[in-house]
Amino acid sequence: MQLTIQAKGDNVKAVSYLLAKNPGNLYERNQKGHLVRMFYGKFTDTELEMTIFVTPDPVELIQNSGNSYDITHYINDREFAVSSIFLSLIRSALGTALNGQPKEEYAEWVAHPFPFTFELGPVNTKLPDAQLKNLFEPMGYQVDITRPEIDYSFDLKEQSTVRTIRLSGEQTLKDALRHLFVLIPVIDDYKHYFIDEKEIEKIGRYGEGWLDQHPLRETIYRRALRFKEVYELVENGEAEPAVAAAPAPLKKTSLNELRYAKIAKTAAGLKPKSIVDFGSGEGKLAVKLGFIDGVEEILAVEPSQVETMKALRRFEKVNDKTDFVEPKTLWGSLFYFDERLKGKDLMILCEVIEHIDEERLPKIFDGILHDYAPKSLIVTTPNREYNEVYDMDDHFRHDDHRFEWTRQEFRDWCEKRNHAGDYDIEFAGIGEEHQEQGFPTQMCVFQRKVNN
Amino acid sequence: MKIGLPHAGIVLLIGPSNSGKSTLVRRLIEEGQILASEVVSSDDFRILVGDKEFIDWRDRPQDEAAGLMDEYQGISAEAFAMMDRVIEARMRLSKLVLVDATHLRSDDRKRYIALAKKNHVPIQAIVFDVSERVLTDRDESRDNPRGKRRIKQQFQIFRNEKRFIKKEGFASVYTVKETEEVEVFRHGNPIEIELDRDIDIIGDVHGCFDELIQLLVKLGYAENEEGLYEHPEGRKFVSVGDVMSRGPASLQTMQFFLKHVEGGRALMIDSNHGWKIARWLDGREVVLSHGDEKVEEEFRIFEEQEGSDAARQLKQQLKDFLLAAPSHYVFKKNGVPTLVCAHAGIRDEFIGKQSGAISDFCRYGDTGGFDENGKSVRNDWTVGHQNRLLIVWGHDPKPKPLLINNTINIDQGVVFGGELTAYRYPERDFVSVKAKADHSGTADNPLVEWEKNRLNPPNIGKFINGFSVLTDSAGEVRIPQELVKPAIDTVSHYTVPIEQLVYIPPTMSPTPKPSALPDYLEHPKEAIDYYRSNGVHTMIAEKKHMGSRGILFLFKDKESSLKHTGIESLGSIYTRTGKRFFDRDTEMRLLSELNQELTRINYFDEYQTDYVLLDAEIMPWNLKAKELISSQYAHVAENAVLDRTLLKEKLQAALPTNGDLQAWLDEYDSKLENANDFLEVFQKYCWDIEGDRSIQIAPFHVLAHSDRTFFDKPHTWHMEMNRKLADASRLFVETEYKVITDEASEAEVIEWWKSITEDGHEGIIIKPEFYIVRSKGKLLQPAIKVRGQRYLRIIYGMDYLEPKNLERLKNRNTGKKQKLALREFALGLEGIARFVNGESIERVHECTLGALAMESDPVDPRL
Repeated sequence: MQLTIQAKGDNVKAVSYLLAKNPGNLYERNQKGHLVRMFYGKFTDTELEMTIFVTPDPVELIQNSGNSYDITHYINDREFAVSSIFLSLIRSALGTALNGQPKEEYAEWVAHPFPFTFELGPVNTKLPDAQLKNLFEPMGYQVDITRPEIDYSFDLKEQSTVRTIRLSGEQTLKDALRHLFVLIPVIDDYKHYFIDEKEIEKIGRYGEGWLDQHPLRETIYRRALRFKEVYELVENGEAEPAVAAAPAPLKKTSLNELRYAKIAKTAAGLKPKSIVDFGSGEGKLAVKLGFIDGVEEILAVEPSQVETMKALRRFEKVNDKTDFVEPKTLWGSLFYFDERLKGKDLMILCEVIEHIDEERLPKIFDGILHDYAPKSLIVTTPNREYNEVYDMDDHFRHDDHRFEWTRQEFRDWCEKRNHAGDYDIEFAGIGEEHQEQGFPTQMCVFQRKVNN
Repeated sequence: MKIGLPHAGIVLLIGPSNSGKSTLVRRLIEEGQILASEVVSSDDFRILVGDKEFIDWRDRPQDEAAGLMDEYQGISAEAFAMMDRVIEARMRLSKLVLVDATHLRSDDRKRYIALAKKNHVPIQAIVFDVSERVLTDRDESRDNPRGKRRIKQQFQIFRNEKRFIKKEGFASVYTVKETEEVEVFRHGNPIEIELDRDIDIIGDVHGCFDELIQLLVKLGYAENEEGLYEHPEGRKFVSVGDVMSRGPASLQTMQFFLKHVEGGRALMIDSNHGWKIARWLDGREVVLSHGDEKVEEEFRIFEEQEGSDAARQLKQQLKDFLLAAPSHYVFKKNGVPTLVCAHAGIRDEFIGKQSGAISDFCRYGDTGGFDENGKSVRNDWTVGHQNRLLIVWGHDPKPKPLLINNTINIDQGVVFGGELTAYRYPERDFVSVKAKADHSGTADNPLVEWEKNRLNPPNIGKFINGFSVLTDSAGEVRIPQELVKPAIDTVSHYTVPIEQLVYIPPTMSPTPKPSALPDYLEHPKEAIDYYRSNGVHTMIAEKKHMGSRGILFLFKDKESSLKHTGIESLGSIYTRTGKRFFDRDTEMRLLSELNQELTRINYFDEYQTDYVLLDAEIMPWNLKAKELISSQYAHVAENAVLDRTLLKEKLQAALPTNGDLQAWLDEYDSKLENANDFLEVFQKYCWDIEGDRSIQIAPFHVLAHSDRTFFDKPHTWHMEMNRKLADASRLFVETEYKVITDEASEAEVIEWWKSITEDGHEGIIIKPEFYIVRSKGKLLQPAIKVRGQRYLRIIYGMDYLEPKNLERLKNRNTGKKQKLALREFALGLEGIARFVNGESIERVHECTLGALAMESDPVDPRL
């Protein structure tokens, strides 16, 4: 992690007064084991070059952050990248310049623009070059970005993922450093410390006089203050900035919503007392099922802890509403047998089967129809024909889908699963119907024959 | 008179003070007929707890007498409580104990009778019937006379109680008038048998006489002139019971065993069918069902053919024979019990003892009442087996001998068309014959039921709250609840089907201690020292390939896969976390190619196996890890090289004007070298993948074939198999290895390690010669990895060798990693053994789910 400051022209020696660092000495300070170092590469009447860099203690660095049980925690770019870590380490070395408070005799140079070039790197960001330029150009810099050559012995990547940035322009040292102190954390993909209100104050101070006019002001704030709540504090009172950050509301009711509504309606028609929602995920459908008249028990079966936590929070929110039966979450999946699920009135597999390898399904369905033997079973899955309407070529609707079926395939398959003939089956569609391709989602309702 | 003392249990001496109890006991001890430790006396315990055998309060003022009486009663109460504890302990340990106290009151005696019953040991009474006159005379001449009045009192009680004693429930009652005439002898334990000959234990025959003879012949027995089957080495055969019922020739089989047991050639234990038939023969009211009715029918035919006299005689003989069959046998080697035979099971505390309750348990197992459908619930008694005795049992048909927790079920359901199994001891191997047919004639066939249910989805209730796996190699492995849930998530979303997920390879620890050398974090020396200090002197050092771990489950054909996993495919290749290794199409192509090549070299036929399970490393590294390599290793390398190159250039340029920069320049010069080495080293494990041709598979363990596991083979054997596979298929590659036996070979291995790791190879793995190795009863690490100096840059950081870094990194602790490695190793072996043994997929999954759960236990990933 390094920053080189070059200045050419008259009076450049004054820059060293602003920095308050003697060109004749090497500067080295130990900050929590990391070495902050500075040296002058050139120091003539017309040319000045100063490099400040950090030699971090890699062992110290990994002990103080992140998830130590992940291998990526130990080998990462934090040791090198110009980042907020870098800034926090060099802040006191550059304090005089950053605050514009040199010895009184040099005060006149604080507001003096020099023809500077700043070189910083390695820069680690997902932002494209154009975006990087857009961040600096408004302050009058010429921006040059370079990537190192790469040459791997096997096919690995197109280009290097690190860059160096050269910024050239007439700036006062104080302004230029403040630009960097605001924008480096914006560019860098990580943050190493928790972002709180202090950060707002810092951006406000360093951004004084330029940030408010910056065309990317919002982007800068948003990226600098990754936590939305903090961002909202800044924008308090201004015209709906928070909404702008959120995805635009959909005009139409989403297919998901339509699907849940249709399932809930179908379920209500079956008048179940007990319902099993298999693969209940974050509990969206289960909540709807909780409002069905006459339902006494809902078992929401899900194997993922993250999803289950979300579901529990969702249930809690509606729990105090009258006529709501809170679903009970059960840890499980279709690959295990759970005797608590036997003999229920209704079992629902909403967009579940397509996540399971097709050849595993027959055994699972034998188990459902014969061992769990619910009175009714609702199964939904995408209708592949409809993908044509979405212009999806051969792609599935989700990366994890193992298959998507046409209407005929689904129909044939359901009939085959009912080989024992214990159930009556009926098909329906969900979503906006297309004349040729049918509905986006297809549904099958199995109902146990009365004498069974 | 002669008194026969039981081998274990209580002998209650009954009689007033001075009746000669202690005198007799003392004499028997002096004569060496009993041990001093076999006697407990209330007098001794009074001294032990209260220093006084007796307190005399006669002739004392009333208040003093009351105080002394209190003291005496207090001492007595404590003394008896202590004594009972000792007696009960001896009961539990199946020891004999003679209780020397007066036992005049019925309540005192009943307490011991109950105690004996509770501990399933016999209780005997020896009553000392001596005249009042003799008692008082003796009292006067003793050291602490009890006083005439007291003796008289005792005698009165004794005289009144005496006649009840016989009816109180003692196994035997002896009445002694003259103690001088008493002689004792000791009964042995009738169910303990010293193994002077080797034995063949035979599973439930159920009247399958032909198969029984066939099995005996296969075991080497031959019929002699007297019509008895004899073994040239004098072996005996032992039946675990249920020789009759359900099958075609119950009578003949029972007669066969009767003849051989009487002739001292065989042993047979009691069993549920045996007991039922015995009671029927005894004329009891019993319902003959579950194939017992066939025995009745055979008797009817016998009577028709041989006449009623012959039938009556046979019935009498068989009744006596069956009723005499003990609940179980304990076999001893050189006086030490090593093996138990019990029909349906036994509890540890029952072993070597006999009682009605024990007999019932051995006949029926642990019946835990009934479920909601009225079906009796069979509890798994094997779970409670804690001691080291091997228990061989039958009763519950399983397709293959089932080894659980040091118990072996050898009922392979010959009557249901399965097999008749013999377990040879001490050889510890199995010999079996196939049934000629399903003789049972019932639709309710437990073997068919078992096979039908074998692949049923595991019951989540068994796992979800945490569970224990009893492993053969490391005992109980506990899987806590918080680790189970993420594992179930993994299985539900990412892994190959549960039926194919039979093995999760264990994690591997690096050297337990860091290298003693200044420039190394890891070095072979510490791995070799670890094994040597644990008594292992022959080791194998295998080159560690750097790719991704892969499990290859390769079937002979689709039918074989269907049979073993219920899935019609040529197998499956999965990662160390159970995920499909390749995309489906690639997997299909590779499986098909591997199948063709193995078929071409006749692998499946040569080894008579339906499948082979291989533990392997699959290369190149970028095959699986391209994304990680690109975003992590390459990205970091680019950062480092860029940062350090720029600084080096700037420092170099400034050096002429500032000589002080030399130190920084040197530092960055060396740092840049580190970065370049880092950049170079990870590329060593990667190459371009142009079709399947670029894939290399290095199998290092042949884990199992359909009939056996290979954990008994040395690693040199596994390496030979590796070579064989590498010769056969262009996908398989060989693994270099060296054997360490002495200083010279150790030095050679270290040199080899140095040279390959300097070249950038990951390193080596050092294993003990054999797969499973213990030291002082504890399982040793099955393997230790020793990674190279250069490779470790991509693990510990490119600058890890800088002295100030290395010094800190050497403080690493491998304790948890080692513990996990051992547990996962034990789970891995157990799961495969269960699968090969045809156990339910739920029992196999218990092991793999456990290993997956262990993997979610956080541990430093650099180890």
